[in-house]
Amino acid sequence: MISRALIGLSLPTFQVTVDAERVRLFAQAIGETNPDYFNGIVPPTFLKAIDGENNSSRRILELLDVELTNVLHVEQQFDYFAPVHVGDCITVNRKVIDIHDKRDGALEFIVIESLFSNVSDQLLGRAKQWVMVRNGARKVNA
Amino acid sequence: MGYGPQWRTESECMKQRFTPNDVGSVVATLQPAPSTAEELVMYSNASGDTNPLHLKLEFAKKAGFDNLVVHGMLGMAHMGRLLTSHFPAAAIASFLVRFSAVILVGEQVNYQATLEECGNEFYRLALVATTTTGGVVMKGEATIRITEPTFPT
Repeated sequence: MISRALIGLSLPTFQVTVDAERVRLFAQAIGETNPDYFNGIVPPTFLKAIDGENNSSRRILELLDVELTNVLHVEQQFDYFAPVHVGDCITVNRKVIDIHDKRDGALEFIVIESLFSNVSDQLLGRAKQWVMVRNGARKVNA
Repeated sequence: MGYGPQWRTESECMKQRFTPNDVGSVVATLQPAPSTAEELVMYSNASGDTNPLHLKLEFAKKAGFDNLVVHGMLGMAHMGRLLTSHFPAAAIASFLVRFSAVILVGEQVNYQATLEECGNEFYRLALVATTTTGGVVMKGEATIRITEPTFPT
């Protein structure tokens, strides 16, 4: 079981400048052909690529001492308050906001929140990621 | 920060206007070409998600899958394209999906949005992605702003 004392764990704040080339590659990878996304507002799920830039979910799961082969990304939510544009400098705050379990602990759920703000400290977006840990699951041998 | 001009440009792209009579109707569909191994490499590089389930066939097979596993977030990105092909990106207020099954390389997936609620300020859409064999791979919902928000200029 993951220690519930880790609920509230905040990761160090970091900043990312939204790089035009990175957004272009992302748009290409997802099949987005609208050129608005190459120099305008980033595609809706690009925020997930920003929050993994540092304090990746993988790093957070390591801090929680979770076996990576037993985890599944089961749910993802975004709330958008104002658009994120190419060239924006975004401050990212990530935090473990909940850990709970189902089926007598066979399944544990970790909820990670990411807050995205601009240089004026305006909150542009919020992401929540639900990760499911299968305790006692058969280990996958790499 | 000049949000205004982008919004006006995007607002002109708003292709969909609904009435309460449209509630229950399918309002958007998208059938992207099945994902390829090359596409997963591109998405890994662009997103930073380099889990070997998406990149190494041997690893995916040892984990019990018949082919490479498509990143869940790539599937969600395709659902995002379903939204942005019908609504301006700046009009999306919230977007949620629950992943219920994996998508494998080569699988055709159909993405679909149904109008659930037609309010004065928001449209609420129910989202679903299914494979051609009928398996649901994700379900979710999105809210779309109808009125133009005021952003600081």
